[in-house]
Amino acid sequence: MRYVLVDRFLEIEAGSRARAVKCVTRGEEFLGDLPHYPSALVLESLLQTGGALTRAGAGPRRMSVLGKVNRASFAGHAQPGDRIDLEVSVALSRPEGTLCEGVATVEGREVGRAEFMIVLLPPEMTPPPDAERDAYRGLLARALGLESALDNGHGGLGSGALPEENA
Amino acid sequence: MEEQEIIAKVRKCVATALGRDEDEVQLESVLSRDLEAESIDYLDITFQLEREFGISIQKDELFPQKIFQDETLVKDGVVTEKGLEYLQEKMPYVELDSFREDPKVTKVPELFTVNLLVNFVKSKVAA
Repeated sequence: MRYVLVDRFLEIEAGSRARAVKCVTRGEEFLGDLPHYPSALVLESLLQTGGALTRAGAGPRRMSVLGKVNRASFAGHAQPGDRIDLEVSVALSRPEGTLCEGVATVEGREVGRAEFMIVLLPPEMTPPPDAERDAYRGLLARALGLESALDNGHGGLGSGALPEENA
Repeated sequence: MEEQEIIAKVRKCVATALGRDEDEVQLESVLSRDLEAESIDYLDITFQLEREFGISIQKDELFPQKIFQDETLVKDGVVTEKGLEYLQEKMPYVELDSFREDPKVTKVPELFTVNLLVNFVKSKVAA
C-alpha cells in the first residue's frame, strides 16, 4: 500500500518550488504507541512534495521515484494535532530529475530538513491510459488541492503531479 | 581557474555524492570499482559538478549511456570500432589507447575516474 503523506498542496510553481501541509492525527495507524510523529515520515512528506513539484515541471503523465536522500536532519518532533508546513524548492533541474531542498516546520519551528534527488522515469515507462485509474487520480488531485495549488503557482499538470506515483 | 582548484573541487563533489572522505577520492580512483558508485550516484555527481562549477552539463554529455544500449556500438560484449569512435567523440578528454587493446563493454565503467571528471570540467570551464 502506498501512503499519501501530504494533506494539501498550497502552491506549486512548476520546476521551482512548492508549499504543502501535512496534519498529524492520533488516528494514523502507523503512529501506534509512538509519542510523536516519526521523523522518517516527515522526510517522506518532503519527498512526496518534491516528487509532485518535479513531475509538475516534467510533462504529462511522467512518473518519478526517489533517487536518494543526500542529507537529512531533524530537530524536535511533530505531535498529533500539529500541522507540518512543507516547503520544497528545486536547487537544480535536469532532464533526468531534480535536486531538491526541503524544510518542514511546525508553527515556525523546524522539525526536518533534507536535500534529495527525484528521478524522472523515462517516458517509455509511462503507463498507458487507464480510465478507472485516471478517474481515481482526478479525484485525488482535487482532494489534495493540486489543481488550485498549480493555479496559485504558475501552471502545471494537475493530476500529473500526484504524490502517489512517488513510489 | 587553476588546475589545483579544479582538482580540489572535483574531489569534494565526488566525496559529497558518494559519502566518502576526500582523502579516499584520488585522481586515479575509478568511480565504480574503487569508490563503489552506483548508477544513481552518477546523476548526483553531475548535480554536484553543475552546482560547484556553475556549469551546465547536457544529458549523456558526461556519462554517455548510449554505449550500453546501441547494438551498433557493442557486439558480443565488445565495443565496435563505431563504438570507439562514439566514445572518443563524446569524451575527447579521455585517452582510449589502453582501452582499445581490450575494448570489452564491461570495462567501460573503468574509464570513469576522478581524473576523467577533472579533465571534463577543465574542458567545460575553458569553453
